[in-house]
Amino acid sequence: MRVDREWIWRDREVSKRKKLERIEARWRGVAVSEGLAVGRVLRIHNGARQQVYRATLSEGDLIHETRRFRAAVRLARRQLRAVKKRAEHALGADHSYIFDAHLLMLQDRKLHEDIETYICRERVNAEWAVKVVSDRLLAVYAEIKDDYLRERSSDVEDVTRRILVALSGENAQNPRPIPEDAIVVAEELMPSVAAELDFAHVRAIASDAGGWTSHTAIIARGLSIPAVVGLGDFYRHTRTGDEIVVDARTGEVVLHPSEKTSESYRVRAETLAMQTGMVVGEGPNRMHEPLRTLDGVEIILRANVELPAEYEAVSRYGARGIGLYRSEFLLSQGEEMPSEDEQCVAYLEVARLGGEDGATVRLFDLGGDKMGPGHEGEVERNPALGLRAIRFCLQRESVLRTQVRAVLRAAARGKIHLVLPMISDLTDVRRARRIIDEERENLGREGREVGAVKIGAMIEVPSAVLIADKLASEVDFFSLGTNDLVQYLLAVDRSNEKVADWFRSLHPAVLQSIRRTLEAARAASIPAVVCGEMAATPAYAFILVGLGARDLSMTASSIPRVRRVMSALDTARMRTVAEECLECGTADDVEEIVRARLSTEWPHLFPAESLPAPRLSTGNNSEGLSSTEDDGTNRLAPGSRRADVR
Amino acid sequence: MVECQVTVINRLGLHARAAARLVQTTGAFSSTVRLERSDRSASADAKSILSVLMLAASRGTELRATAEGVDEEEALRAVCELIASGFGETEK
Repeated sequence: MRVDREWIWRDREVSKRKKLERIEARWRGVAVSEGLAVGRVLRIHNGARQQVYRATLSEGDLIHETRRFRAAVRLARRQLRAVKKRAEHALGADHSYIFDAHLLMLQDRKLHEDIETYICRERVNAEWAVKVVSDRLLAVYAEIKDDYLRERSSDVEDVTRRILVALSGENAQNPRPIPEDAIVVAEELMPSVAAELDFAHVRAIASDAGGWTSHTAIIARGLSIPAVVGLGDFYRHTRTGDEIVVDARTGEVVLHPSEKTSESYRVRAETLAMQTGMVVGEGPNRMHEPLRTLDGVEIILRANVELPAEYEAVSRYGARGIGLYRSEFLLSQGEEMPSEDEQCVAYLEVARLGGEDGATVRLFDLGGDKMGPGHEGEVERNPALGLRAIRFCLQRESVLRTQVRAVLRAAARGKIHLVLPMISDLTDVRRARRIIDEERENLGREGREVGAVKIGAMIEVPSAVLIADKLASEVDFFSLGTNDLVQYLLAVDRSNEKVADWFRSLHPAVLQSIRRTLEAARAASIPAVVCGEMAATPAYAFILVGLGARDLSMTASSIPRVRRVMSALDTARMRTVAEECLECGTADDVEEIVRARLSTEWPHLFPAESLPAPRLSTGNNSEGLSSTEDDGTNRLAPGSRRADVR
Repeated sequence: MVECQVTVINRLGLHARAAARLVQTTGAFSSTVRLERSDRSASADAKSILSVLMLAASRGTELRATAEGVDEEEALRAVCELIASGFGETEK
């Protein structure tokens, strides 16, 4: 959208009229959740750099001032405890530990002594003393050579800011009141600030910084609200109250949308809401019944989960267990690996969530761009083809053993399966199995209870597809990771915008690979779950089922719309269309067939915007799923927008 | 007063979570507990998280821990065990 903005700047120079600043402007960032929202900007500033003044006090006021400081600390402590509780609830204990450190800082003897001494010695107000003492502390931290430890200064800032707010008498304890149509805009949404927001009213989030694993992203996905991050300098262009559109399907944000634009987005938002809302409206009973196609074939829809905040949605949308638990989300950024006990508790919780259908835990998918604790900075030249996933686990055996032990122990009390990511050779499976067997024996010797765990392979590398029949004889199930499969099969880095046009989920080679894998699983009588983002889009799910998939796993909130479509189709018809697609030579041809067949035969199930968009002759439009005239830049391909999910 | 030498072995050193655990541990004893870098370049009150963080003790830093008070033996043992165990974090 650089073009649009340049145009605006020029225009602004010419006319110099303030009114023109309200001209529609578009930004593109990284969409980290789903959906679309139209609303008004609510700017959230992190640091709240308050102006602090110095006041000189008389001797007699000093005791009062010291008491005022202590009262502010007590208030700040109460608020922080409440924040911690909320964060624990929304993000899980592992992400809320930082508030323990904040609480300890708030109670820190040294901090209190320094501040109170300063108040008395300099005869100044508490605010000034807090500011001077914290600035001194920050100066000391700034000298620390270790990057990570030096960054702790932001924690000190967060804590002293809190004391200043408490001194000013502002009550930050209750979630900030938020207007109904608020779209939160921030440079970066800090965890403590986010936890104070009343998210019941937040329609969407847009932030300058952040990626898929940023706190903003995690919070947004957990709460199923649209979010776009990585918007660069968006924040400073906004004012609270500005009209804004956040489209987390394309990663696009529109500021001051024209009437026409905002109307068209509103219509789309309603359609989206209807697609997910309709089935919900039919009541819980219907939703929890087995899903059958018109011809009576059962289709299983499971949930992909990452964080505790998403757990509630799993039962709400009637998921049949957890098809994929991305365990690396247990790791908070820059922190150490969770212990065996901590992991065990987490897996047990996921297993309970999955109920009798169980949960599939994927081994830490670390490496590549997600290096995990202690590996920051070791940049590989070709991370997607580097030491990641199963390779990383096998090389860092202690990490693998700890995780395996936690899974085996949790399985004693819940139904858990384990899936090995990025398998490219049978040897990977055998090595992992040997370690699993050894740990099972070790646990037995230690007198620990262990449970039965089925071991599956992620099929996401072309070599695994080609030897799927061999793999099928040595694992208990397959999980098809379509995002990575497309990336590796087509040799397209899905986080590289420049090649986004080549990222084609409906490429005939992708479809053939999926079919081949499903057939190998069927021949060996093992289950195969398709768990990439493809499954979450009805038109793609149609093709997947047509290719023989009967078990799909997706973000929980997508389940109702896939369910609604599947219950109105029959498998024979889906197979016919899929077979026609398999004959194609190009992704364009496949998309054309999908568009033509689905829109003519099932227009009520597949409105035009739910189908792959026709590609423009300019060649800069990729396989968007929705397209209207003002939306020619749509660049949505399942998987590609979730640039770093695996 | 009792003392012992201990090396920080966990990867991120005395980072926020580790420092928090340390301070929570020392807080349970009445003795004064101090940590000093073996090169004597800095020392800290082990009951103050801000002070502990300022040690900037990254992985491999050697520390001298001292405790003084009625429960000095127990306090020192708890602190040294915690640091030597890498704060119970899996990755050493």
